[in-house]
Amino acid sequence: MNALDISSITFRYEEASVFALKNVSLSVPDGRIQALLGPNGAGKSTLMRIVTGQMRGYTGEVSIFGTKMPDRSALLSIGYAPQPISLYTSLTARENLRFFGAMAGLKEEQIGLRTKNLLERVGLSDHAEDQVATYSGGMQRRLNLAAALLHSPKLLLLDEPTVGVDPQSRNHIYDTLLELNAAGMTILLSTHIMEEAQRLCSSVTLVDKGEVIFNGPMSGISDLEKFFLEKTGRGLRDD
Amino acid sequence: MINQLKELIKKEMLILLRDKQTVLLLFLMPVALIFFLSLAMEGVWADKLTGRKIQLVIQNESESPKANLLAEKIRTNKLIEEVQRPAGMNDDKIFAEGRAHAIITIPKGFEDSEKPVEMYFDPVIDAGYKIAARSLIISLTVEVVMGIDNLEMVVADLVTEKKKPNKEFPTPLQQNVPAYAIFAMFFIAIPMSVGFLKEKKDGTLQRLFTYPVNTNLVILGKIVPYYIINVFQFILMMLVGVYVMSHIISFSFNLGEHRWHMVPVTIVVAAATTGYGVLVAAFAKTTEQASTLAATGAVLMAVFGGIMMPHILMPLMMKKLAMISPMYWAHQAYLDIFLRDASFGDILPRLIILTVFAGICFYIAGRRVKWI
Repeated sequence: MNALDISSITFRYEEASVFALKNVSLSVPDGRIQALLGPNGAGKSTLMRIVTGQMRGYTGEVSIFGTKMPDRSALLSIGYAPQPISLYTSLTARENLRFFGAMAGLKEEQIGLRTKNLLERVGLSDHAEDQVATYSGGMQRRLNLAAALLHSPKLLLLDEPTVGVDPQSRNHIYDTLLELNAAGMTILLSTHIMEEAQRLCSSVTLVDKGEVIFNGPMSGISDLEKFFLEKTGRGLRDD
Repeated sequence: MINQLKELIKKEMLILLRDKQTVLLLFLMPVALIFFLSLAMEGVWADKLTGRKIQLVIQNESESPKANLLAEKIRTNKLIEEVQRPAGMNDDKIFAEGRAHAIITIPKGFEDSEKPVEMYFDPVIDAGYKIAARSLIISLTVEVVMGIDNLEMVVADLVTEKKKPNKEFPTPLQQNVPAYAIFAMFFIAIPMSVGFLKEKKDGTLQRLFTYPVNTNLVILGKIVPYYIINVFQFILMMLVGVYVMSHIISFSFNLGEHRWHMVPVTIVVAAATTGYGVLVAAFAKTTEQASTLAATGAVLMAVFGGIMMPHILMPLMMKKLAMISPMYWAHQAYLDIFLRDASFGDILPRLIILTVFAGICFYIAGRRVKWI
């Protein structure tokens, strides 16, 4: 069974003249780390927001482990770390995790135990009671990831999880992702860092101007950046 | 589901109460306004509205026994304060310098009814004082001329005033405590709308919808904390008014015979204020827009609604215009309780108007709001 099946998704934002997504189809097999690449404005984040139930008004189908959306119970199978640091900065790390755990329907004891384990895993145990506003960019990114993992999802969607972080935090995140994948978690990773995609992912989907322009294994691509530029062109993208 | 709602409310409360500026705005601002404006109004109330004495220069040119008796009656009347004419100062200068409101001359010939008592008023004196002072001097003169000891007692069987003691006019505390509590309650729209837009901007609201959370629960989680804060604001202001301010200024704070009617009024007022907050949140596109809209709206409602200028002192046109402000209905509902011992039936129309206002706000906001 595929972790994620996207079939013929078409979507246009209100008052927009062009489609954000045009007939997009892709599958992510269970247990894989798959890269979702594309220039700015290609439609990657929109696709992730559709999969995570944030957007309506699209045509086509999304299935999570065989459950068709918008069945909101399927959302519990997904962990989503959005590109903006989507945390409550005046709350502490523990309070943030507790809140998102409760939203995922976890019980009190589960939240306590998993919060402790996750804070250790992302190296934030010593700062659990500090307000997130006092965190560095790297710490916030790690907590952003921890919040996505709290309810032990089977499919993890990451939207540029290492943007703006130092090499130490970046490598810590890479190691965490590889550990999670080794434990059976499927990951769809959207990133602009080609080295990151090539290091972590076994397959790649390339999206441009709302359309899938490539879908295949990473093994056949020796230089991902060169491949990316060949497929999407060298012209600047301002949209 | 209950746990989710509990956590939504707790999260909102923590964010709100950790924002020191918001806490100051919601709690300290109204306390300071009540404190300073009540002190300021204490002078105005005592001077202009309740106990201002009429300042008179008394010129007794007659010096006859009758004239002396009249001068003495005027001098010792509790509503009159005699002012001595400074040496060489003429009448106009006395008025120009604000030393007296009128000059009363008892001329030679008064004792023989040849010449009348002359009253010369400051041309800019308030018409109400002028009428009151005229009536008083006429009464006292009639007493002396007719040989009556106390005219008011003589006419008591003919004309009498029916009133409840101290209930015809709000004291500064009765005016200001509910006024600025309501004002601050409407200011809840600032943190409410700014918080909502900040969550949208930060992506936390979007993230919330990646969990299986019911949208109605999210809405409740956004409204209930501010509603609770509103109720606490009112309770705090009342405590300050009743237990602190009433010991500081010379006016008491009479809560009326049906003080428990404050409970339904506060419940409805808090619904109106949170409704206003939701409306601002739905219309504003940025946090800057939200705070400007919320604050400007609250100040305008206060200006029109008899919060900043007591409704009773407004001219007729402004009194009618006040009715467009929900703050007017809220304030009058509290004044009904404090001053008029209003029954629940008496305040019900005001509560219905406030409930309709809240309903309209929630309805429009519900149609317009964009969660993502």
